Order: sequence, then structure tokens, then C-alpha cells
Amino acid sequence: MREQRRTRRFAALALAATVVLAACGDDDDSDADDEPATEESTDEPATDDEPADEPAADDEPAAEPAGDDEEASGDDAVIPVWIAFEDYRLDWTNEVAAAFNEQVDGYSVEITGFASYNDAFDAAIQAINSGEPPAVVHFFEAATQEARDALAGNGEPVFADLEAIIDGRTEVAGVPVVLDDVVASAATYYQLDGSYTSMPWNTSSAIMFLNRTLLDAAGVEGTPATWQELEAACEAFMASDAATDSCVTWPNHSWFVEQDIALQGELLANNDNGRSGRADEVFIDSDAMVDYVTWWKGMADQGYYTYTGTQRDWGGTYDLFAAQNVPFLLYSSSDTTALTDEGANGGFEVEAAFLPRNGEATGGGALIGGATNWVINGLDETTQDGAIAWVNFLSNPENAASWHQTTGYIPITETAVSNLEAEGYFDENPNQRIASEQLAASPDTPATTGALVGNFVAIRDVITESIESVLVNGDDPAEAMAAAQEDAQALLDEYNLLFADG
Amino acid sequence: MPLPALFAILVAALVGAAVVARSGTRSLPLRALAGALGGGLGALAVSAPIDFCTFSDEYETKDYVFGLVLMAAGAAAGIAAARAAMAPERKPDTNATSHSVWRNWWMPWLLLSPTLAVLVVFLYWPAIETIRYSTKLARLSNPKQVDRCVYNFTELIGPSRPWLALVLAGLGMVGIAAGVLLDRQGRRVARSARTIVSAVSAISLFAALAFIFTDDYRQVYVVTMIISVGTVVGGLVISLGIAFIAYQPIRGASVYRTLLIWPYAISPPIAGLLFFVIFDANTGIIDHWTTTLLDTGLADYRTTPVLAQLVVIIASIWKTLGYNLLFYVAGLQTIPPDQVEAAMIDGASAWQRFRYVVIPALSPITFFLIVTNLTYAFFETYGTIDYLTKGGPAGATNVAMYEIIQVFNTGGDLGRGSAQSMILFAGVVGLTMWQFRSTGRRVTYG
Repeated sequence: MREQRRTRRFAALALAATVVLAACGDDDDSDADDEPATEESTDEPATDDEPADEPAADDEPAAEPAGDDEEASGDDAVIPVWIAFEDYRLDWTNEVAAAFNEQVDGYSVEITGFASYNDAFDAAIQAINSGEPPAVVHFFEAATQEARDALAGNGEPVFADLEAIIDGRTEVAGVPVVLDDVVASAATYYQLDGSYTSMPWNTSSAIMFLNRTLLDAAGVEGTPATWQELEAACEAFMASDAATDSCVTWPNHSWFVEQDIALQGELLANNDNGRSGRADEVFIDSDAMVDYVTWWKGMADQGYYTYTGTQRDWGGTYDLFAAQNVPFLLYSSSDTTALTDEGANGGFEVEAAFLPRNGEATGGGALIGGATNWVINGLDETTQDGAIAWVNFLSNPENAASWHQTTGYIPITETAVSNLEAEGYFDENPNQRIASEQLAASPDTPATTGALVGNFVAIRDVITESIESVLVNGDDPAEAMAAAQEDAQALLDEYNLLFADG
Repeated sequence: MPLPALFAILVAALVGAAVVARSGTRSLPLRALAGALGGGLGALAVSAPIDFCTFSDEYETKDYVFGLVLMAAGAAAGIAAARAAMAPERKPDTNATSHSVWRNWWMPWLLLSPTLAVLVVFLYWPAIETIRYSTKLARLSNPKQVDRCVYNFTELIGPSRPWLALVLAGLGMVGIAAGVLLDRQGRRVARSARTIVSAVSAISLFAALAFIFTDDYRQVYVVTMIISVGTVVGGLVISLGIAFIAYQPIRGASVYRTLLIWPYAISPPIAGLLFFVIFDANTGIIDHWTTTLLDTGLADYRTTPVLAQLVVIIASIWKTLGYNLLFYVAGLQTIPPDQVEAAMIDGASAWQRFRYVVIPALSPITFFLIVTNLTYAFFETYGTIDYLTKGGPAGATNVAMYEIIQVFNTGGDLGRGSAQSMILFAGVVGLTMWQFRSTGRRVTYG
């Protein structure tokens, strides 16, 4: 009891200190930049469960020169690298940058963290237009179409085609090119006509986490693999003595919707999900979509699913699972490490499993999520080579494995997977294996490759807004998705008006 | 120029000539000419830059009407300017303290130039760019822009109950006419009658506006009104009450008066964060209290629309409280004690002294605070809302400013973002003008 009180007092003090710091540090800058890092991104849930963590730090990109500047000689070509992380993932990247600067002669990588992918992207375009571009920008999968299309003020493409500038070399500035080694699921997503336009980095999949301790206490056995099984497990759990407030939660993020459409083997856009030609039609009101939203609403209506009340709420859903308020959590594999640790620290057993799918549909599979590193177009040759070397260095087998162990993003190269396997890492940490296995089990079809659609970031918001109206206002799923279809189609038409040829 | 446009401009010029000719000291032909120029050029100034596109066949009736309304607004501004120019010149105030006159005409401009440069670069130029973007389909990642005429505006217009909008607008107009008539009657009419008429006309006009928008944007409009009015009215009432208590001469008053001002030093996102921690349905302190005392948990404000609005309003009130207190405490100190004493001798109760002496004496401060608080409520609640509700649940706290930032930030849509910020700007200008005309007139500066 006393300990609890002390903790609380400490928390209060910490909060007070934060407030004072924040009041001094950030003025009334109530702009868009305040969004926490997790906002626009697919799969970077905040692992910090306290929203009170460092509010001040969210505001401005923390520019931290990587490595020891004293060691870098003055002649080194500076490679400015912009990434959309500001938490422990920025720290990890800074460490890798320090290693790069030490091992690779003639280059000095400088990392800058941004609050979100969109912030980094917008800043990059403005930096190009004002003549001081970065060399590498980290941008997420949903905006792949926009990144390929994007033009700077001078009408030139913003990003270079990665394989075109590598130009067949197997080594750049002494760093081996690892593109051929990238795992299949990421390869199919990010390749255009068989060649990469950007370098895959953080890649994840949506998976399910179970609180096995809680389920055992309720006498619920097995691992649900389908919507129907999950619903049955929830019914049993909620009827048991060990029942908590509710049974399952996941963020109202379009990424989960996309996963569940792909798991049913259905498309989200025409022209093979935009893979065989520019997509000019979206299928937001498809039967697969309506079925999914109807099931979701049913879970909520029965009290099995908890909606945290805000869209893209990674933190709130994570907290419900970590506090043992729900035995099931559908989440990004990017936090496998953190979620497994929550169990270890909180005295309950966390198990990872495949995302439940519609038991009445076959032939589908799960999608990837995450981001790639893009090299800016039009850099001088030295800087460009440094940028290529850096993005390959970041995903070399050693770093790919370390990144996976730190976060839970899948090991991005086959060598990294086999090295970890040989070390026995997966046997010791079975949860870490699930995302890779789920992606490997996914058949190679246009549905499971993922949609490539213009204005997709805005379209995703249309989808989550409609689902929120279903969950909060009880709107009819078919009607809500039909309205979403109309808005999404208008957004795509507008995008194509600006970017499509002619 | 299309014929209807020419016709509209001619009408504007005629109306301008008629209006300005009615009053003023200059010669009649000059007044009529100025009025015609003001009206015609005003209408031309808003329609020429978009190439009279609202009259073209490819756009709908609502674009056509919107174009005409814009031209009418431009003409009204032009006529007002002409009227001001033709008004009798004010005689220089001979009693004013003597002031020196610059010997060189360029000297004041030179000294003003740094300020003007800042205004042009940071205010006027961005404002003109915003107006330009509001007629385009544009995004940051492409230098190409497509002309959209006024589509970015008119797509928000789609009356689902046009008759209701018309009835309410009619009621508002009748109210305004009645108000003008009552004003003519002068003192013979009771003040309360005028207050009621003005309130009825204002409310019905605001309601009529709501029914002009599409369902989606109407929600944004209504939510903005609820949260802004709630923040301003609640904030002023509460801060006046606290200021009245804090103003009492008690030991240590200077210390706690200073402490009361602290919330003002905290940025809106932090206010959001604090209230997030307080009201959270699972871990919040309020939930803890209600569970312990009443044995019932707090409803989750993040899934209950009315609660969400309430929490945002409370957080915003708390945030502006320090600022309002600062002014009210200072204002209370300027009320001459003999006035209050005189009222006391006349047998006025404490409430009567407060109602009939203190509140009127504070009217200039209240007026100032209404304007600044409205500006805060319209433009600066983004951070608070973003931390508390993210505009949810289902848009229940999605105020106009939040919507604008969402449109630009996730959609990268420069055109829509600009158009909606123009609408918000127009709304605030309209509200402030109404404020100056209605309440501003009653302010007494002692």
C-alpha cells in the first residue's frame, strides 16, 4: 500500500516536472507537430505506456548528430538522414550511425528524428525547394505510391529510383548491397517491375497477442485462428469467473482493415491492387469490407470488443492489454519485444499468434506494414553513394537482427533470419517468430501484396472515420462503407488528376 | 466577361451610386460616381481573379449563387469604402496635445518600413497565397495545380433542409429590421426588448447558417459553436466569480493571485494532457473518486460525445482562466470604492452591488476578454483536442481548426485546407463585427 502511494507521489512529481519543463520549453505551438510519433504511421505503436512521457520532446525534431563528431575528420561528406522516430528507435539508429561513421571512410551520417512520417516527408519537400535537401528520408508503406510520384517545386522527382542509382553494383563505398537478400514479403510489396524504388527497413505484420495466464484462469483453451473462434473464445471468457471488462481490443487503424481484407483474399483497388497499372478505383464498400465491419460491430455490441474512442489509438489499446483488462490484443508485431516484456514484468504469460481471419473465406494472407528509406533525387555522386551505403548498412544481417531483437519488426533479410535461427534465438523467443511465419505463409497474390493507391493516407482516414461512426453512433456498416467509398473514390480521382499522365 | 457577370457588376455600381448619393458633404455627382465605382470595382475585384468562373456552364447552381454572394460582399465593402471617403471630414481636434509634423513625407514611411516589411512577408503575402490556393486542387508533393473555381467552398454547401435555412434566415432578417426600427424609436422602447430582438436575430442567423452546410460540415460548424460558446461563456463567468473572491483583501492575497495565473503559462497540448490524466475512464483520478464514493465508474468521455465536448470545454476554460483572472482582478481594483459604498448606503444587497455596479464597471474588460477568448476558442484549442479526443468520438469535438489541420496534414490537401481556413476566418470576422455592434455599444468606459 505504502509502496503504491510512493509510486503515485513519484508519478505526480514527475508529471509536475514535465509540465513545468513543457511550459518553459514549448510555447503555444499547438500545431500539427504535436502529434505523437505513432499518428500517421502504420505500425509504430508507442511502447511508452504513459502518454505523459516527454510531451515536450514530441514537438520538435530532435536533431542529434550521430557518432562522435570529434572523430569524424572535416573532409567527410555529410549524409543527412531523416527518420520518423523519436523514441528508443531513434537512439538505436544513432548507435548504428556511429558504427557506420567509424567503419566507412569518408562519410559522416547525421540522423534527425521527426514526429511522424508525414512531417519528415513535408519537411523534405520544403528542404529540397529551398536548396538544402537531406540525403535519405524514411517514409511509410501506405504512401509508396505518393513517394514514387512526388515532384519537387522544380518538377523533378523528389526521390531517386534506388536500383537505378545502384546501377548493378554489389558494393557501394565498401558496404555490400543487400537488396537481393530481402525477405519475399517485403520484396513483393516494395518492388516495381521487379526492382526496388526504396530500401526496406522497418517491416512488420499485424498479429494477435494473448494473455495466456488470464485465459487459463477462465478455462479458455486453444488459440483462436478465425473471427468465429475468437468470438466463441470471448463468449466463454466473458461468461467465466475470470472475466474482465471486455475481451479484445485493437486500434481503429485502417491497417487492420487492410489486413482483414487481404486475409479474405480480396482486393482494395482495381488493376490488381494498383500493381499492374495505376489504380483508379477503390473497393471500400466490397462485401469483404462490409462483412468485416459487421463482425467488428457485433463484437463491440456484445461487449467483447473495447473501442478506446480515438482513431489510430496505439497507446490506449496497448495499455488495456498490459493492464490485463483484456486477454486478447490485435497489434503490430513491431512491439512484440515490448509486449512480451510487459508479461514478464507483470507476471503473466504473453503468447503471440497469427491474426484471426474470416473462417468463411479462403485463399488470402497477411500483409506487411512499415516503412522504407528513400534516397533523395539529384544528389551529387559522393553524397548519393554515401546514402546508398547507409541504407544498405542499416539492413545488413547484423543490424537487421539487432533491430528485430530490439523492436519486433521482422528481420528484413534472409541471412538475418537464418543467423538468428542458428543462434537458437527463435527457440528461446517463440513470439518473435510469429510475424515472419505469418508473412511467409501468405500466398503471393495481388490481394496479399498490398494495395498501391494514390492519396492512400487520406483514404485510410476516411475508412477509420466511417468505422468510428459505426462503433460510436451505431451506423449501419453497409451504409457507412458506401459513404466511405464515395469519399475515398473522390480523393483518388483528385490525386490522379494531378499525377496521372496527361 | 460573361453577360450575367457584367449585369451583376452594373447592378452593384447602381446600388453603390444610390447608397452613397444619399449622404455626405461632397457634390451629388461626385458622391454618385464614387458609389458606382466602389460598388462596381468591389464586385469586379472578387470575380475577376477567378475569371468569372462561377458563371460558366460547367459549374452548378450553388456555385453560381455563391459567386453572386461573393460579388455582393465585395460590392458592399467597396460601397462602404466609398461612403467613408465621401463622409464629412472630421475637424482636427484642437484640444489634443500638440504633435509635431514630419518635415519630409518619406520619413514616417522609412520609420514604418520594418514593421510594414514584416506585415507583408508574414501576413499579407501568406493571406493572398491562402486565397489563391483556396481556388485550386493542389498538394505539396506536386507543383502542378488544377483550377477548381469555388468548388472547395461550395462542396461544403448542400442544404438538406433548405426551407428551414430560409425560414431561419427570414426570421433573422426580420429581427434585424425590427432592431433597426427599435433603435429609431430611441429611448421610448425598453432595453430588454432590444436585447431580445437582437438575440433572436443573431441566433436564427447562426442556425440558418448551420442548415446551409452539408451534413458533414454542419457537424463541424455546430461543434465549433458549442465548444467556442461554452469556453467563452463558461470561462468568463467562472473567472469573474473567482476574481471577485480573490480580489477580497485577505492576507496572502498577492501570493495566491499570482498562483491563479499559472495555467496561462501552460501550452494547450499540456492542458489536454493534464485533463487526459484526470478524466481517463480507466486510470483517471475522477474515475477513482466516483468509484470509491459513488460505487460507479466514470463514463468514458472518449466514447461519449457530450462528455467529450464537456471535457474539452473544461480544459479550455482552465487554460484561459489565468489570463481572464489577470484582467478581472486588475479591473476590480480600478472600480472606485465610493461607488460601491454609495450603493451600499442606498441599501443595495451584495448581489445588487455586484450586478448593478461591478458588472457594468467591468464591461470594457469583459468586452475585450470576449474577443480574445473567442479567438482562443476558434484558433488555439487544437493541441488540447488532439491530446484529449483527437476530434472524436465520431467527430463530436472536431472543431473547424482541427478539421483544417487534419485536411492538410493527412490529406496533404492545400486547396481544401485553405478554403476551410478562409471560412473560419470569415466566421470570426463576422462574429467579431456582430460583437462590436451589439455588445460593444453598451460598453461604458466610465
